[in-house]
Amino acid sequence: MTSPPPDETLTRRIPTDWKGQAMQRRIAARYRAERRFRLIGLASILLSAGFLAFLLVSMLGNGLSGFTRTEIAVKFDFPRAPMVVDPAMLEGGNADQVLAGANLPVVTAQAANAALGEGGDALISSNAWLTVRDAIRDDPSILQREAVLSLPASADIDLAAKSQGTAQAEAAYARLKQGGHVSRAINMPFLTASDATDPTQVGIWGAFKGSLLTMLVTLLLSFPVGVLAALYLEEYAPRNRWTDMIEVSINNLAAVPSIIFGLLGLAVFLNMMHLPRSAPLVGGLTMALMTMPVIVIAGRNAIKAVPPSIRDAALGIGASPVQVVFHHVLPLALPGIMTGTIIGMARALGETAPLLMIGMRAFIASPPGGVTDPATVLPVQIFLWSDEISKGFVEKTSAAIIVLLLFLLGMNSIAIYLRNKFEKRW
Amino acid sequence: MTEQTTPSAPPKMAARHVNVFYGDKQAIRDVSIEIDNDHVIAFIGPSGCGKSTFLRTLNRMNDTVAGARVEGDITLDGENIYDPSMDVVQLRARVGMVFQKPNPFPKSIYDNIAYGPRIHGLANSKADLDVIVESALRRAGLWDEVKDRLKDSGTALSGGQQQRLCIGRAIAVEPEVILMDEPCSALDPIATAKIEELIHELRGRYAIAIVTHNMQQAARVSQRTAFFHLGTLVEYGVTSEIFTNPREDRTKDYITGRYG
Repeated sequence: MTSPPPDETLTRRIPTDWKGQAMQRRIAARYRAERRFRLIGLASILLSAGFLAFLLVSMLGNGLSGFTRTEIAVKFDFPRAPMVVDPAMLEGGNADQVLAGANLPVVTAQAANAALGEGGDALISSNAWLTVRDAIRDDPSILQREAVLSLPASADIDLAAKSQGTAQAEAAYARLKQGGHVSRAINMPFLTASDATDPTQVGIWGAFKGSLLTMLVTLLLSFPVGVLAALYLEEYAPRNRWTDMIEVSINNLAAVPSIIFGLLGLAVFLNMMHLPRSAPLVGGLTMALMTMPVIVIAGRNAIKAVPPSIRDAALGIGASPVQVVFHHVLPLALPGIMTGTIIGMARALGETAPLLMIGMRAFIASPPGGVTDPATVLPVQIFLWSDEISKGFVEKTSAAIIVLLLFLLGMNSIAIYLRNKFEKRW
Repeated sequence: MTEQTTPSAPPKMAARHVNVFYGDKQAIRDVSIEIDNDHVIAFIGPSGCGKSTFLRTLNRMNDTVAGARVEGDITLDGENIYDPSMDVVQLRARVGMVFQKPNPFPKSIYDNIAYGPRIHGLANSKADLDVIVESALRRAGLWDEVKDRLKDSGTALSGGQQQRLCIGRAIAVEPEVILMDEPCSALDPIATAKIEELIHELRGRYAIAIVTHNMQQAARVSQRTAFFHLGTLVEYGVTSEIFTNPREDRTKDYITGRYG
């Protein structure tokens, strides 16, 4: 077979039938594929938006009532109550101690029985006397007169008020309502108190503060260490087998299940270094181990994305390598590094498993004063409450989830604000 | 091979038997050349001939390339720049560089110029710095175009303005030598003409070496021309002679467009 002379292959044109049927079909198929792909994309967006909406609606539906509580108005006749308190003793800081010994639970129960009829003391929360105590402490003059105080209802009545109670409780609630004793109020103690055994008494503040302190420790440790590690690996480390190995290890570290980090924290920080158990310090250290690889990986990518021409420019007018890094590379890479940090911190905020291992699941009834005090964190608190038998904890669990989501939202907003600010400067 | 001009003063920079390697590959073979204060020297040659590599060895920018190795002597005012006692950072301040692609910092025009003087501590006060910035921008022929928007980002300028900003940035640190690596290859003819004009004005004040692909440009801006081919310096001499009466056949072939 002889090949045609070369100039013929070059000059011969195969006529293309742009108007032919086959061509039209091909064009139509192309448009169909385009539409199909767009629809699939739209469908997946709608699906994820639907899931998100479902989550938000169900959380808000269950949880919003957790921010309110039912209160019962009870009349107190303090001068005639079986208690002896010297108002002069209430001056100064030890009013709580004085009042703790003042027979207030009995006074409260009697007042409730008198106001609501026999068995009235069962309708109010068993810790209602604390509200009475606070009222006396804030205004000792009420001891000289009669006063009407709004006391938190018992868990049963509170549930009945939210139409989730037993038939018996619903009946009792209906009677109270007829008598005009009940009201709905914002559950301030939920935002200011800590964990408790009684669902009407629990608060989220302790766990919130625990999360805050833990995140602070995590950020303070993982951000500088992660960024410096990324800078060293990108800018200074020689390319050899060792750096390759370190790179692989860091990538693997980012994928290690979090429970392993918890065990590591337990073994190293608690058993070897004897740091305090259940403390935000240890939680933060453990979380920092987990977050650091994420920041290193994101940081290296961001640093790699800084155009080499900028480095050349700075070196070319006599900037030292450190000046190149801190004046040019780092500021340009910072938005990317911060994106990675947001992802890492959000993951750490929602993490439960490693904290269970280092004892942050303990029952802690007062907010932590510092990073070495025993504390719990929001996701662990949610886990603990979801495990409770009492039905009153259901709405508290959802309310805690709302708080956690708001925390997350707040943290991300700050980070995104900072990121945009840095981007604008350049 | 090397034409022995008889310089009245010792050369600003001199390279003696320089070899450059990238790993196992030799990019520059035994190049000896001198850069004088009162001349612009143009490095010409086909792509990959090593002219840019050679330019980058003159202020040790090749140090940043992994596996790059330089043999031979390169001196600045008689000092060997590859001597361990030579401070690279200071060297690069004395031997400035302008790159092929305009690469202003993503900062304001003012900060672009002021960056070098700031890191080298050339200005004692804000007023000093203002003077340095203005004179650098004037010498770079950019002052009239940007004096009212010094706070604008340097990256918002046109390509030609960006390149003049980069030249201004280089001269703001008062270098002794300016190396230009194809400074006009990304610019249109009008911007190119402005840069060439600028090179004319800077001549005498700084020793200038320019790498170019554009033969007419070499003929226009330089007084000395060096022709590189395959890593060797083929011919080096007065520009007018190289272009009108080259001694080597390879030079003649290249400048007449036979290859390259």
